[in-house]
Amino acid sequence: MNETELAYMSIAEQAKLIEKKELSPVDLIQTYLDRIEKWDGVLHSWITVCADQALKQAKQAEADIAKGNYKGPLHGIPFGAKDQITTGDVPTTMASIIMPDFGEGMTATAVSNLENAGAILLGKNNMHEFGKGSSVNFHHGEPKNPWNIEREPSHSSTGSGVSVSAGLVSTSLGEDTGGSIRGPAWANGVVGIRPTFGRVSRYGGIMYAWTQDTIAPLTRTVADNALVLQAIAGYDEKDPLSSDRPVPNYADTFTKDLKGVKLGLVREMSVGQELHPDVEKMLNKTLDVLRSLGATVEEVSLPKVKYAIPLQLLTSDPDCAAVYLRKYLRPYWDKFDVGTRTRLAAAALVPATIYNRAMRGRALVRNQVFDALKKYDALITLMNFEPPLKIEDSVEKLDKKEDLATRMYKGRRICTYPFSVANVPAMSVPSGYTDEDVPMSFQIAAKPFDEAMMYRIGHAFEQATEWHTRHPDLEKTLGPALKSAAE
Amino acid sequence: MDLTKDDVRNLAKAINLDIPEGDLNTVALRLSSLIEMMDQLEKDLGDELDNVDPIPPVYPREEF
Repeated sequence: MNETELAYMSIAEQAKLIEKKELSPVDLIQTYLDRIEKWDGVLHSWITVCADQALKQAKQAEADIAKGNYKGPLHGIPFGAKDQITTGDVPTTMASIIMPDFGEGMTATAVSNLENAGAILLGKNNMHEFGKGSSVNFHHGEPKNPWNIEREPSHSSTGSGVSVSAGLVSTSLGEDTGGSIRGPAWANGVVGIRPTFGRVSRYGGIMYAWTQDTIAPLTRTVADNALVLQAIAGYDEKDPLSSDRPVPNYADTFTKDLKGVKLGLVREMSVGQELHPDVEKMLNKTLDVLRSLGATVEEVSLPKVKYAIPLQLLTSDPDCAAVYLRKYLRPYWDKFDVGTRTRLAAAALVPATIYNRAMRGRALVRNQVFDALKKYDALITLMNFEPPLKIEDSVEKLDKKEDLATRMYKGRRICTYPFSVANVPAMSVPSGYTDEDVPMSFQIAAKPFDEAMMYRIGHAFEQATEWHTRHPDLEKTLGPALKSAAE
Repeated sequence: MDLTKDDVRNLAKAINLDIPEGDLNTVALRLSSLIEMMDQLEKDLGDELDNVDPIPPVYPREEF
């Protein structure tokens, strides 16, 4: 096993070796530190790397395991956290330059849960400033897609998607309000889930869209994703909106086939749209695989999902702006990126009557999604109608109304926002590559708290395909940029 | 709806936010786009919006 093979292993594979004492957590951490040192000058997927702390904890884990005190499949496994998720003494920058640490000593419950399971914090992942997904200029370097640095790595939990895809860490916790986990998962070819609102404690995440924010993992396989969610899901007295429903054992629901599973293919988020030829080809192959596994697939129309984008921007953004206005926008306007500050300012000016009407609109979208989920076990959509865009095309143009409106209605948002405003779980699963070797994914959404169904479908699909076994060849994709930077 | 820079400046005054001249146009474009989309939604679904409660973030019932 060479260093690259180890870096790209799934958590499940790494855990087996650690449990059998054939792999030391110290060696695993060091492998990732070496790769970060080599590649992250181009990828910019980390803001803080806590090497000394991580190595110290890895040595402790190694000693504990040697003594027979193995905690389980996350013991000794390194993880990253989007830099808006608090991590005690390790600073939380929000990818901002307003202050060096917004964390105030807090540790997010999701982070504590992972650490209690034996996982080791490797560092904090780069992101769009304040997680708003509208950064034009990045204060900590612009994250790059490891498959092709000229293509977008998508928005918000960007460093989390990049670092997991590039084999710089085993998993990373992201945050998804409108698609900030699923988007980077899609663009970088990894698995990303938005859990049901309330399934994972929001405590310690610095995020103010109080009706939509979720914390969850990005991983290289569906099974890994279920493993990490298993560790962080559940009621938390520190989050009054977290749910006390029991958390099922997700791995117990995995099946080789999907016999009896009824899937609804949402027209407005797939076949009913103008699709890039590579995406259309991928969708057809994906549906063939799902059918070959025994699932039935029927088209379903959800016409109200087309309103999801304004509904989110008129509700969650004002919720965030209500906090940012007093604390940061008024006193630190010039220290914000122009994309972030103008988005937050516009949100701060949304009249309360419009906010209320938009919250009513979200109920209508949710009801339509629920109605469909009464008929189907899960809904299937694309993650985008086209592959990841060239970077220059993915950045918001701020000087023309037409550009803004077009961007709002097209692209990833129309595929991710509907399930966010409806507060149902959804997951992005890699399902193909373009002729230029850029990742593409499809999305599975399920009833509230039925993450198990999404994992069952995603896992069966993964076992029937080989997409999850493909990883970027960094020497090929980043080598020239690295060489050029060194000259 | 096309909000002008003056419109935005005046709205911002109500929340004690001083938006620099260089950013006013972008904020105006963003807010105009959002309100325009909401206008369309009102045209399409206005009656339905009157007859539904705003969304609660959590689920009050066991059945979905």
